[in-house]
Amino acid sequence: MKISYNWLKWYIPDAPDAEKLAYIITYHVAEVETVEKREDGDNIFDIKILPNRAHDLLSHQGIARELASLLDIKYVDPTPKYKIPESKPTNLKIEIITSKDRRHVGRIVRNIKVGSSPEWVVKHLESIGQRSINNIVDATNLVMFNCGQPTHAFDLSKVSGPKLIIKDASRGQKIILLTGEEKELSESMIVITDEAGNPLDTGIKGGKHAEITNSTTDIILEADNFDPVFARKTGQILNIFTDARKRFENDLSPELAPYAMQELSALILEMCPGAIFENIVDTYPQRQEERKFSFSTDMISRILGLNVSVEEIENILKRYNFEYKNDGGEFKIIVPSMRLDLVGEEDMAEEIGRIIGYDRIKPIIPKINFKLKINETYAKIVWVRNKLLNDGYSEVMTYTFCNKGEIEVEKSASDKKFLRTNLSDGLKESLKLNKINVSLLNLGEVKIFEIGTVFKKGSEEMHIAYGDKKEIKEITLDEYTKLARAETQVKNSGAFALGDMGQGTHDALNSLLESPQKFKMWSLFPFIVRDVAVWVPKDVSSENVLKIIKENMGNMVIRDPELFDEFKKNTKISYAFRLVFQSNDRTLTDQEINEIMAKITNKIKENDGWQVR
Amino acid sequence: MKADNKNKQQKGTEHPLSILANKAYEIFSEMGFEIALGPELETEWYNFDVLNVPKDHPARDMQDTFWIKDRPGFVLRTHCTSVSAREIEKAGKEGRLPCAFISVGKIFRNEATDFSHEMQFHQIDGAMVGENISLANLKGVLTQFFKKMLGENTDIEFRPSFFPFTEPSIEVFAKFKGKWLEMGGSGVIHPTVLRNFGLDPEKVQGFAFGLGFDRIAMVKWGIPDVRLFYQGDLRLNQF
Repeated sequence: MKISYNWLKWYIPDAPDAEKLAYIITYHVAEVETVEKREDGDNIFDIKILPNRAHDLLSHQGIARELASLLDIKYVDPTPKYKIPESKPTNLKIEIITSKDRRHVGRIVRNIKVGSSPEWVVKHLESIGQRSINNIVDATNLVMFNCGQPTHAFDLSKVSGPKLIIKDASRGQKIILLTGEEKELSESMIVITDEAGNPLDTGIKGGKHAEITNSTTDIILEADNFDPVFARKTGQILNIFTDARKRFENDLSPELAPYAMQELSALILEMCPGAIFENIVDTYPQRQEERKFSFSTDMISRILGLNVSVEEIENILKRYNFEYKNDGGEFKIIVPSMRLDLVGEEDMAEEIGRIIGYDRIKPIIPKINFKLKINETYAKIVWVRNKLLNDGYSEVMTYTFCNKGEIEVEKSASDKKFLRTNLSDGLKESLKLNKINVSLLNLGEVKIFEIGTVFKKGSEEMHIAYGDKKEIKEITLDEYTKLARAETQVKNSGAFALGDMGQGTHDALNSLLESPQKFKMWSLFPFIVRDVAVWVPKDVSSENVLKIIKENMGNMVIRDPELFDEFKKNTKISYAFRLVFQSNDRTLTDQEINEIMAKITNKIKENDGWQVR
Repeated sequence: MKADNKNKQQKGTEHPLSILANKAYEIFSEMGFEIALGPELETEWYNFDVLNVPKDHPARDMQDTFWIKDRPGFVLRTHCTSVSAREIEKAGKEGRLPCAFISVGKIFRNEATDFSHEMQFHQIDGAMVGENISLANLKGVLTQFFKKMLGENTDIEFRPSFFPFTEPSIEVFAKFKGKWLEMGGSGVIHPTVLRNFGLDPEKVQGFAFGLGFDRIAMVKWGIPDVRLFYQGDLRLNQF
């Protein structure tokens, strides 16, 4: 959620500077993913509000309230500034015939003038990436980003009378949304209609029928509190991702709706000084219950593994506006209505932990004498892997997803929708790839294996597949170990022991720790292989030849030239070296490699009795 | 005659993630953790429900899940916390408490791939359950793990997070070469989850964590792209 620093400052004028505030939010509330410095001097935070706080933190006031409590600084309550307009009796009737609308706050406003918004409104909306539409629509949006409550306005002249009905939709009922798109509703959804049955709103997205236009003069304002599961399901089925859906599906407090109406009214009055306000109609069939529970200082300390004092907790409860009773460190609390996430003492442990800061918690390794059991499958895997490695096979991992199989996934982001039924297909591809690169690998020949899961109808199995240029064999882990065990027992009576990783592995692991190695990314450009064989007098060592090659081969040989052949004949000896050329940033040409090879050849020939074959 | 000694079989090269998994298992075994493995094709129950991730809740959006066609109730596991869940439940039934489990396994997320995102990758998940197991214990265990994995100078820190199965929920960061890097989620196991396991949260508490395993390998060795792990290219096996 985008939050403007300057906007926040309205409510918390004593807030520290933007950079510091971003740090505080990250360490105590939620991650600030980016801070964008704007030309007008504002800073825009992109805060990754967590799902458990989305009901109260997806707004500027929500964040400001949290920070005021966290930092123990002043929160400027704007309510007194919302001059309640003088309000007239109303004919507005609201009928809720669904359990999905827990509260509806409505109001008729007459004599408004639709036009452009004041500059500050446009600026506020733009700062958080929203587009200004017209003053009335902007007012409803601004209220949502300011206090978190979605609100909506209908053109009263397009509604059949001063009555709104909120009810479950019927299957196949159609509505044209503000975007012009037609959607078909079902029984799991709701629809807001007028008395004539015109569908006006889906709850999470308004309809075209009573859209505000430039000629609108009288409007109905509404702030609802919808059931979160309904909002989520409707959004999923209709493919609607509005800011309203996002807030409703995170379970807003119904206590927010009348506040939002007050704010919206004040905003419309500022934009349309001649507006005539009628009384608010508040229909509240499902009251939010007051939530009480108790927790103890001891329990909080135990969960956190840190001694938290009674005073510290009391101080936090005060700052966060809890009503509470402290009975010697046992707290009985009434949760503030906006804090729907706080349900039990574990929630208070998190609340207190994040407020005081998790850096206060010191690492303690528990001293418990666990009764360990060996995992047989893992022991088998390690044993098989070591055996295959010792037999000269190298390990690969390939993809679980493929083009055909017995089990298919739904809605994949990729075109490979099936789970593999074998490892061999992947291994075949891997063999192909590695054969091409064999000159780049320090391996005599390409032999590879994979240990992994395959999926057949009804079950998944752990398989081993290993292959070389001749063939690929595949077998289940259990079968392989059974056969291999029999074979090993014949050779050296029962060296196969479950859980025995062997000292060799141990040493390898320790050296892994001690020598920090760095991965070397390979070039994505083609390589060129050249051999050079040289006759030299038999007392000349291969190093002497290698030295000359290295001095003249340039910087594009990717590993030390490999001495792949040597033999003596009479007084002479032949050394054959293989050079692999590759560049990190381009494709090498035969011509340039020929030139390098020619240079090497010439240098070799300068030596008496040396001869390039 | 070849320059190499033909009689001695040249040893094959090991996949970096296998090397690292062995190392991780060793570190956790020393702290009393038991190695656990579980199914990759998992039930919705162990992947979500038992972990207090309700149906029709925005928390389910936190992980892009692969659902299985024509097999309602099944998913490709989105974390190995499902393995911890199965093992703790079993240990509770067998009266083997306190207990601690560690699992390195392949997990799946339905998302577009790039250098840091892959549809399949590995996670290391662990959990400990016993009397008075606390957030400080989680910090102790993870500090030990990262120091042994990335070097003695490695620090870790906790930042607030949210997971339905832990309360408090923590995002774990490790400081490597002067930079704080996000490593994964963790926290104190939620009492509802303990009850789902058949345990009494008044008597036992616990912690759980799930860290990106490929990410640890990438950080440790400077491997630039997660996709390199699954291409079957032996040039990856450099360690």
